Amino acid sequence: MSQDMLVLLAESLWETIYMVSVSAFIASIIGLPMGIILTTTAKGHILEQPWINKVLGAVVNATRSTPFIILMVAIIPLTRLIAGTSIGTNAAIVPLTIAAAPFIARIVESSLKEVDTGVVEAAQAMGASPLQIITKVLLPEALPSIILGLTLAIISLIGFSAMAGAIGGGGLGDLAIRYGYQRFRADIMLITVIILIVQVQVVQSCGDYFSRKLNKK
Amino acid sequence: MIDLQNIHKIYPTTNGSLVALNGINLRIKRGEIFGVIGKSGAGKSTLIRCINMLERPTEGTVVVDNEDITAMPEKELRQARKKIGMIFQHFNLLSSRTVYDNVAFPLELQGMSPAQIKDTVMPLLELVGLETKKDQFPSQLSGGQKQRVGIARALANKPKVLLCDEATSALDPQTTKSILSLLKSINTKFQLTIVLITHEMHVIKEICDQVAVIEGGEIVEQGSILQTFTKPQSNTTREFVSTIMNHDIPAVLAEHDFSKQPQPDSNLILRLSFIGHSAEEPIIASMIRHFNVVPNILFGNIDQIQNTPYGTLVIELAGEQQSIQNALNYLRSKELGIEVIGYVSRHARAIG
Ligand SMILES: Nc1ncnc2c1ncn2[C@@H]1O[C@H](COP(=O)(O)OP(=O)(O)OP(=O)(O)O)[C@@H](O)[C@H]1O
Ligand SMILES: [Mg+2]
Repeated sequence: MSQDMLVLLAESLWETIYMVSVSAFIASIIGLPMGIILTTTAKGHILEQPWINKVLGAVVNATRSTPFIILMVAIIPLTRLIAGTSIGTNAAIVPLTIAAAPFIARIVESSLKEVDTGVVEAAQAMGASPLQIITKVLLPEALPSIILGLTLAIISLIGFSAMAGAIGGGGLGDLAIRYGYQRFRADIMLITVIILIVQVQVVQSCGDYFSRKLNKK
Repeated sequence: MIDLQNIHKIYPTTNGSLVALNGINLRIKRGEIFGVIGKSGAGKSTLIRCINMLERPTEGTVVVDNEDITAMPEKELRQARKKIGMIFQHFNLLSSRTVYDNVAFPLELQGMSPAQIKDTVMPLLELVGLETKKDQFPSQLSGGQKQRVGIARALANKPKVLLCDEATSALDPQTTKSILSLLKSINTKFQLTIVLITHEMHVIKEICDQVAVIEGGEIVEQGSILQTFTKPQSNTTREFVSTIMNHDIPAVLAEHDFSKQPQPDSNLILRLSFIGHSAEEPIIASMIRHFNVVPNILFGNIDQIQNTPYGTLVIELAGEQQSIQNALNYLRSKELGIEVIGYVSRHARAIG
């Protein structure tokens, strides 16, 4: 393989890492509070608010049921508004974030719901405020499970980012399509696939490691 | 210390409303260990959870330490809860925190400094005998040790009241004993009022001063332990008492027909219970001396309820009907519990 090809590969790998990490980061910042709200406003929980819960739940479901490729195209105007363009890695971050945030919200919600209600009750009996229950009970107790969930979200994002590449988002997906598919470079195709697999493995192993390390159950 | 006035709790359910508590009135004195016993579904947990408003009563007032906590706004209630410790059947410790950090938790909620926290937590860990386990996580502890952490945590805020919701139900008999004696020593040491709910009579017998029996959301009986154990009034109480004390009719008599009224040619079967000093008086001996009756002891048992000797005796009295009645009146004049089991035909019994 030529020097140019290697540079191209390295660039694409970096683009993928960049897209995935930035969108995972922003999506977490949005998804985490959403997950907390979804949990605590549910019936019988510490901040019971059936209406907020229903509306937020509906928004999350709507986003999650839209296939990524359609979502990406559908929000192009919004992408232009935020990123100033609809192609390139920065533009891809917008739909990636919008797709991942509700996914993370649900992951956080299900992790928080796993926390033993008895423990929440004990905190209430000690006079903890709802905010204290969230920060000192729910989140620390659910952390190992949230980390596993975030790992899953990052892996999905790696997949999505490859799809984003298909419409000019850059990254390994883009490379695979432009060279591997359109120019019949089977070697490039193979290498990108291998890199994607290795990436997923590494992310999963890291997630497993940290989750296990934090889990005291 | 705790005053429950006309507490009702009604849960709305899909098929109508469910009355979990139906007009509970209880007064618990400072420094007392107050037991509430009842069968599953009787409303015990609902009742104890009403004391710290984990469950808001549908109707009625809860007064703790002269403060009406049913009328408090959320913020004040949180403050009041800090003075009401609680321990649970399943311990409810934070699995992500060490023993030390679990006990520190309520203090952290108060915003106490780490140095102050340490000064409070270490003596508590010593009190419950877990100094050496302070850096372990709950998953590394036995049930009894977990409950000790729960107790230390509940005491961290120096509460005036400790609520125990089936605190020993998940523990084996020996561990139960050690936890109960820990609770007793805390009660004496800090003059702490303890409310304890359980479905096990031996827990009540072990440490409670007062007991209330709850059934179907109502208190069916209430009184001192000695009184309740020796003279149970309701059937439920009798059932509970019989789980640890033999109140059954001895097997030798089981197949006979009893009549509650004196019959000619019949013997009287009596259950006598002796409490404290009356156990030391030679009542039976003087009965024999004064009345022309022949007693036959069918069953006897001596037990202790919190250091007070307590004996039961099932006897059969044979003799002239008049003598039997005189003997019965004599026994009734003494300080002992008498239960007439019945009269049984002398033919059926080959004595006297
Ligand atoms: N949140 C709830 N919603 C509806 N019904 C409830 C609720 N909590 C308790 N109940 C009902 O109230 C009644 C009393 O329940 P409670 O938990 O107080 O009983 P308990 O005496 O503690 O029983 P156990 O020994 O089994 O713990 C039961 O019939 C129960 O089904
Ligand atoms: Mg219960």
